[in-house]
Amino acid sequence: MASGHVIKRAKYKTSPKGAGTPGVLKMTENKIMFKPNDPTSASKIDVEFRSIKGYKNTKEGSNNPPLLNLSLEQGGSYIFEFENFLDLQVCREFVGNALTKSGDAAKAKSGDTAKAKSGEAVATSDRSTVTYPDEQLISSAEMELRIKLLRENSELQNLHKKFVLGNILTESEFWATRKKLLDGDSGTKSKQRVGFKSSMILDIKPMTDGRTNKVTFNLTPEIKYQIFALKPAVHRAFLNHVPNKMTEKDFWTKYFRAEYLHSTKNAVAAAAEAAEDEELAIFLKDDDILANAARQKIRRVDPTLDMEADQGDDYMHLPDHGIFRDGSKEITDSQHEQFKRTFLQDLNRQGEVVLEGRTIDVELEDPRTVAEALAQSRQESDENAKQERLDRISRMTEMEDLQAPHDHPLAPLCIKDPRDYFDSQLLKISDDTRAGSEQLRCSLSSEEAYGSLRGSISEIKAMGLSDPVVRPEVAVMVLNGLTQNISSTKFQLGKNAQESILNSLPNTTKEELLHHWISIQELLRHFWSSYPITTSYLYAKVSRVKDAMSKIYPQLEVTNVLLRKNISM
Amino acid sequence: MKFQIEDVTVYFPYDHIYPEQYAYMVELKRALDARGHCLLEMPTGTGKTIALLSLITSYTLSKPNNPVKLIYCTRTVHEMEKTLAELKLLHAYQTIHIGDRARILAVGLSSRKNLCVNSRVLAAENRDSVDASCRRLTASWVRVAAAANPNLPTCEFFEEYEKAGSNAVLPPGVYTLQDLRAYGKEKGWCPYFLARHMVQFANVVVYSYQYLLDPKVAGYISKEMQKESVVVFDEAHNIDNVCIEALSVSVRRQTLEGARRNLNKMRQEIEKFKATDAGRLRAEYNRLVEGLAQRGNLPFTDNWLSNPALPDDILKEAVPGNIRRAEHFLHVLRRLVQYLEGRLETDNVEKEGPVGFVASINTHAGIDQKTLKFCYDRLHSLMLTLEITDTDEFLHIQTICDFATLVGTYTRGFSIIIEPFDERMPHIPDPVLQLSCHDASLAIKPVFDRFQSVVITSGTLSPIDLYPRLLNFHPVVSRSFTMSLTRDCICPMVLTRGSDQLPVSTKFDMRSDLGVVRNYGRLLLEMASVVPDGIVCFFVSYSYMDGIVNSWNENGILKEIMQHKLVFIETQDVVETTLALDNYRKACDCGRGAIFFSVARGKVAEGIDFDRHYGRLVIMFGVPFQYTLSKILLARLEYLRDTFQIKEGDFLTFDALRQAAQCVGRVIRSKADYGMMIFADKRYSRHDKRSKLPGWILSHLRDAHLNLSTDMALHIAREFLRKMAQPYDRAGGSGRKTLLSQEDVEKMGDGILNEMQY
Repeated sequence: MASGHVIKRAKYKTSPKGAGTPGVLKMTENKIMFKPNDPTSASKIDVEFRSIKGYKNTKEGSNNPPLLNLSLEQGGSYIFEFENFLDLQVCREFVGNALTKSGDAAKAKSGDTAKAKSGEAVATSDRSTVTYPDEQLISSAEMELRIKLLRENSELQNLHKKFVLGNILTESEFWATRKKLLDGDSGTKSKQRVGFKSSMILDIKPMTDGRTNKVTFNLTPEIKYQIFALKPAVHRAFLNHVPNKMTEKDFWTKYFRAEYLHSTKNAVAAAAEAAEDEELAIFLKDDDILANAARQKIRRVDPTLDMEADQGDDYMHLPDHGIFRDGSKEITDSQHEQFKRTFLQDLNRQGEVVLEGRTIDVELEDPRTVAEALAQSRQESDENAKQERLDRISRMTEMEDLQAPHDHPLAPLCIKDPRDYFDSQLLKISDDTRAGSEQLRCSLSSEEAYGSLRGSISEIKAMGLSDPVVRPEVAVMVLNGLTQNISSTKFQLGKNAQESILNSLPNTTKEELLHHWISIQELLRHFWSSYPITTSYLYAKVSRVKDAMSKIYPQLEVTNVLLRKNISM
Repeated sequence: MKFQIEDVTVYFPYDHIYPEQYAYMVELKRALDARGHCLLEMPTGTGKTIALLSLITSYTLSKPNNPVKLIYCTRTVHEMEKTLAELKLLHAYQTIHIGDRARILAVGLSSRKNLCVNSRVLAAENRDSVDASCRRLTASWVRVAAAANPNLPTCEFFEEYEKAGSNAVLPPGVYTLQDLRAYGKEKGWCPYFLARHMVQFANVVVYSYQYLLDPKVAGYISKEMQKESVVVFDEAHNIDNVCIEALSVSVRRQTLEGARRNLNKMRQEIEKFKATDAGRLRAEYNRLVEGLAQRGNLPFTDNWLSNPALPDDILKEAVPGNIRRAEHFLHVLRRLVQYLEGRLETDNVEKEGPVGFVASINTHAGIDQKTLKFCYDRLHSLMLTLEITDTDEFLHIQTICDFATLVGTYTRGFSIIIEPFDERMPHIPDPVLQLSCHDASLAIKPVFDRFQSVVITSGTLSPIDLYPRLLNFHPVVSRSFTMSLTRDCICPMVLTRGSDQLPVSTKFDMRSDLGVVRNYGRLLLEMASVVPDGIVCFFVSYSYMDGIVNSWNENGILKEIMQHKLVFIETQDVVETTLALDNYRKACDCGRGAIFFSVARGKVAEGIDFDRHYGRLVIMFGVPFQYTLSKILLARLEYLRDTFQIKEGDFLTFDALRQAAQCVGRVIRSKADYGMMIFADKRYSRHDKRSKLPGWILSHLRDAHLNLSTDMALHIAREFLRKMAQPYDRAGGSGRKTLLSQEDVEKMGDGILNEMQY
C-alpha cells in the first residue's frame, strides 16, 4: 500500500456471467480507473471511491473465477474478473482500505452535497455552525468493525441508512448509543466459537478416479488448520520449510505421501522411505512435540487415574520378570516401532484437539498466517491446574449419598408432560419479574397504603432522609421488572405467534409497523439521551430527532386508516 | 456418626451408613477378634474402603493396650491415593470427636520415582533409571568420596535428611504421596527415605501389593513389620495372578546378550580393583566365608531388591566355596549363560520341571543346585564390593541370577517352558525360556504365616470358595454381602443378537465375521445416541479392539458414532492412555460426551473407576477368556487340576467371568449413582457362564433381559434412563431401609446382619 496505487489486469463485466472487456484496472487512494485494452470500447470507468458503497468477492477454493464486485452508492455495480486469486486478494485489500479511509468522511460529504443540491440551505447553514465532537478521529479498525456490524445486521443497516444517510443523526451519534457493540472485539469474541467436528480425521480421505493409481486429496484452509492442530510436528515443519525450502504444494504432497505410507500399514516400507528422505521422515516419525507435551501434561493429570505412577511403582515390570508370553501381551515389532503410529493414537489425539477447541481467530485463507497464529496460541498455555486437581480428588473420595445433601440452588427437574412443564416455567419467569412490583401493589388496600404513606412521611419529617426511601433491592427489582417488559415487548409482539395481534395484520403492514417501531425506539433513545440540553449542538440534535419522529406519526396514521378500511371491507 | 459394635465404638465419618457396610464391619470385627484371616465380598459402590478403615482404626482406638497396625495393600498408585484421601477424611472426623487420642500416622509408600523431589534424579525416564541415579548420589561409598572431594555431586535432600538424624520424623497425620513430597520439599528432607524410615512407626501403611507379595521387594521393605498387623488386600480378585507373576522369570535372547555384556564389565572392574585395591576383594571373600549375615547392616541407601526366593526358603548358611572368589563366580555365571543360550536354540516347545532342569544344568554346565541357589545373593555382594551404582545397566545379569536362585530353590509348583516363537506369529523367531510359577499359594504363604489377620476383599470374589483353595489358607470368616438398593440403579443385560437377529459372539470362529463386527458397531452406535455422557466399552484383547475399530472405520460406523460422542482409546502406552482418560473425563464433564474403548485385563479395567457421568453404560464385547493356547496357561491348568482338583473349564470360566464382572463393576460407585451393563455375547445367556457372575449383578439380571437383540436393548435402555432421571427417596422409603442413621443402627443392631447376607 506504500505506493498508494495498484495496477492489475482485469476484465470488466456488467454481470458475473458475461464475457467481459479485458483491460487494466488502476486504483489510487481515492479513485478507480479502468482502461479497456480496446480503446474504442465504451466501458471506460473513472469513479471516486466515495461513490462506492461496498464490495464483494468470490472465495478462493470455490468454483467461481476470481471476481470483485464493487457496488455503487447510486445502485448498480462494477464487476471485475482478475487473472488469479492473488491479484484479487491485493485489490480487495486495497479497496477495503480505501473505503475505510474515505468511508465516513465521504459519506458525510456526499450527504452534504446531496442536500446542497436539493436546496435545503437551512440545514447546511445549521450544520456549519455546529461543531461535531471527534467526528474524524475514528481508527480504521473501528471503521472496519462498524462496516462489519452493518453487514451482519440488516436491521442495523436499515436504521443506519435511514437516519445517518437521511441526515437525522450523524455517524458518531448513531454509534455512540451502540458502544457495547463496538467495545473492542467483545462483540465478536463473546460469540460462541465453532469448534472442530468430532470426526475430522475421518474427513481427510483421498479420492481415486478409479482408472489410474493416482489419488487426489482435496485441501481446504480448514483442513490445513486441522492438520496443524492435530500434528504439531507438521506444523513446525511447515513454519520451518515453507516457503524457504519448498513450496507449499510440495510440502503437502510430501505430507500426504507420508500419510499414504501410514495407511498401508507397512512399517518396513515407511522406514525405508524415511531413511531416504529426511523431510518425509518428519511426517512418518512419532511426533516429538506431542511426546514432550504428554510428559508435561502427565504431571497435571488427575491422580485418581494416573496409571503412569503405577508403572513407576510396580516392580513386576522389571524387564523379564513376570509372565512374558501368556497371550495377554501383544507382540510388537520393535525395530520399526517409531514408524508405527496407529490409528488408535490418532483418534485419541483428535479427541484431545476437539476438546481444546479452536484456539485461534483468524481467517483461514492463508496457511502461513494460520500456522503462525497457532504457534502463538500454543505458547500461551498456562499452568494453574494443580489446585483443581487436588480439589477433584477430595470430591472423588466422598460418598455423596451418605451425608447430608449439599444445598444446590436447583429445583428438581421433573418432566412428565413437556408442554405443561414449559408453560409453567414461562409463567414462573414472568411471575418472578413482576413479583416485586405486584406484591407491593396488591397486598395493600388503599387506606392502608395511605396510612403507611402518611406514616413514612411523618417519619421522614421527624428523622430526615437518612435511609433511602425505597430499599435498594426492591428498587432494583421493580426496575428490572419494568425494563424487562419493555425490552421483551418486541419479542412478545413479534415472535409469540399465537396471541399477537400483529399476526392478524397483513404481512406488509406488520413489517412496516415493526420498522416504525424500531425507528421510533432508536430516535427516542437519542432524544432522551440528549437531555439536559446544554449546548446548541444538543439542541439542534433534539430538534432534528423530534422532526423525524413527528414525520413518522402521520405515516402511522395513514397505515391505521388503510387498515381500518381493509378490515371494514 | 458413632455406634457400638459389641465392645468397639466405631467412628464413621458420615451421617448415614449403608446396612451392608454395617454388616461388613461386624464380620470384619469378628475376624479381628479371632485373629484369623478373612475373605469378604461386597459389591462395588457400597463403600468398602471407608467401612474397613473406620472399623480397623476404631478397633485400635478401643484397645489401646494392644494396638494393631494396618497394612493396606492396593493394586495401583491411584487407588493408594484414593485410600489415603478417605483416611484423611476419617481421621479429621475422629480428631474432632475424640481429640488427640485419635492421632495416627499414616503414610503411603511408593518407589523413588513417585516420591523423589530431586529434579536431577527425576529427569530420568523410568523407575530403574531413577533408582540408579538416586544411588549414584546417595550410595555410601559415593558419600564417603564426596566428603573428601566436594566437587562430587550428592543429593542435598538426602544429606539434609541424614543431618537431621533421629529428628527427621513425620509428625502425626495422614500423608498421601503428594503430601510427602510437599513435606519433603518444605523441610529439605528426602521424602523417599523419610517414608521408608517412618513405615516402621506408622499406624497405617498403604502400599502396593508387591511390597508384601514379591519377595524381592518385601525382603527389604516389609521385613520389620510386626506380627500384630492387619493386612488388607483390597480389590483382591486378581491376587492369585499377582502372586504367580511375582515368582516368574523369563529369559530372552536380549537378556542373555545383556548379561554377557554385564559380565564383561564386571570382569574389567575386578581387574581394576585387583590392581588398585586388592584388599577389598579379600575382605569380601572373608565376609562370605562367614556367611551373608551382614546384609542386615548395610547402609540404608545401598539396599536394593533382595532375594527373589521367599525368606523361609533361604538357607542360613555360608556361600558355597566355589563361588566365594569373584573371578570364580563370574566363571560360573558365564557357564550358566552359555548353557541357557544353548537351550534357547531349539525348534520345539520344551517343558520341564525344575528338578530335571537343575539336573541338566549340573551335567552340562557343572553347576550344582546349591550354587544356583546362592547366585542372587552372591551377585548382590559382588556389586556392592565393586561399588556399582548404575544398577539399571545391570538388570540383565540380575534377571539371570533371579532365575538361577528360583530354579535352585523350588522343586515343585514351577515349570520351565521354552518356546522358539510366539504361537500367533510363527514366522518371527523369538525364543524365550520361562520359569513360570503355577502355585499362587507359594508367594502369599509367608504373609498368612507372619501376620495375625489378613483380609482379602473385593467386589468380585465369586465363587468365594475357590479363593481359599487357590491361595491355600483357612479363613475364619468368609462372606459375601448383597447390595441393598433404594432403586434398581444397575441394569445388567445380556445381548445375544444384533438388530438383524443373528447371534453375536467373540468365539474364535465368529470373531472375524463381518456381520458380528457390524452388529457390534450398530449396537454401540444406537446406544451412543440414547445414553448421556460417558460410555465405556471393553474388548477381549488389544488385537481384537484394534481390528474392530479399524473395520468400523472402514465401513463408516465409527464416523457415525463420532457424531454423537468423542472416542478415546486405551493403548499399550501408559502415558497416552492416562491422557486419553483425562480427556475422556473432560469430555464427560463439559457435556460433550465420550466413549472409551478399553481392554478387559488391561490397565484401565484393573483400576479406573467410571462412576457417575463418567460411565452410564458399559458394554462388554465378548467373553474375556484367556488365550487358551498359551503353554503357560496349559501348564498352570494342569497343575491346578493335579494339586487342587480344579477343573480346567471351571477355572477358565471363573477367570473370564471375574474379569467381565470387574469391567462392568466399574460404573457404579455409590447408590446415588446408576449405570447399565451390557454383556454382548450369546455365550452369556448360558447358565454355566452366567452363574459365575457375582450375586449382586445376578440378582438384578432379570429373566427378560437374558436374550436381547439390539433394538430390545435400546428400548430397555431408554426406559431405564428415564426412570433414573426421576427424583427418589434416598433412605429407601417404605419397606427395607437402605440408608441407616445413628438411631436406626442402635435400634436394629444385629438384625441388619442377617438381612445382608446371601
